[in-house]
Amino acid sequence: MYGWIWRHLPGNAWVRALISLVLALAVVYVLFQYVFPWAEPLLPFNDVTVDHQ
Amino acid sequence: MAATTDDTAGHTDGGDGRGDASGPGPEPAPRRRGRLAFAVSVFGELLITTGLVLGLFVVYSLWWTNVLADRKADRQGDKVRDDWAHSAPRGPGALDTGEGIGFLHVPSMKNGVVLVRKGTSTGVLDDGVAGYYQDPVKAALPMTGKDGNFALAAHRDGHGAKFHNIDKVHQGDPVVFETRDTWYVYKVYAILPETSKYDVGVLSAVPRESGVRKPGHYITLTTCTPVYTSRFRYVVWGELVRTVKVDASRTPPRELR
Repeated sequence: MYGWIWRHLPGNAWVRALISLVLALAVVYVLFQYVFPWAEPLLPFNDVTVDHQ
Repeated sequence: MAATTDDTAGHTDGGDGRGDASGPGPEPAPRRRGRLAFAVSVFGELLITTGLVLGLFVVYSLWWTNVLADRKADRQGDKVRDDWAHSAPRGPGALDTGEGIGFLHVPSMKNGVVLVRKGTSTGVLDDGVAGYYQDPVKAALPMTGKDGNFALAAHRDGHGAKFHNIDKVHQGDPVVFETRDTWYVYKVYAILPETSKYDVGVLSAVPRESGVRKPGHYITLTTCTPVYTSRFRYVVWGELVRTVKVDASRTPPRELR
């Protein structure tokens, strides 16, 4: 999977490394900005109130 | 499939380049093994990826949400202080439930000042504030001067983690609520280190679980326990000891000095 991505990136090793880094940062951004905020309320880690439900 | 072929082709080329002397090696065997190896390596990479994502989620919950929440709470807190500084004095009992009604100081928690806002929904608490209950029980605000229970909730971990050190609060410790005109000094008199999340009785106007029987001015802090989970609730009760008028320079009461 990662090997496949690596082989399909353009340029020499340095350019590929740079693009990989940018891709990784983009993935982290999407996770922090959209995926984790969506997933967090669905997980039972942070309910602090007492209630009837 | 395309990748498999590429992979095998690449390896074969390399092998041919190095091992010309041996001539054309056994062709089909590496291809079959290559396919299996490819499946295994994809599976392995998926596992590694899952691990990384879970690790990132921990970083997100325990660090990043704090950064965001503290930033938000600071901004809202500044706004409240600004409003206080610029608005005309109001009579006793005047309520401002807009952005925040005041600040909670719990010296034994060592977490500075916590803005208090209305409601305990995720949207409110995720801003790094303490919220006073509207549901299932309506909290009695100290500014009204009426008997009742000022019940608050805040996050134990993440989103500011304002009640993270609730286990450091002991009997007799002061809990001070600061409003525009008054410091309300409470003293902790009972602690319930673990209770069910359905235990709404801890919020009642006379919280019998804390051992009191008579109406009075109580404060209740609730959060989740043990740390990093939401299995149970941790409850701290305090009773109003005295109130101090806010002076011109907002000198804190001696409990905070």
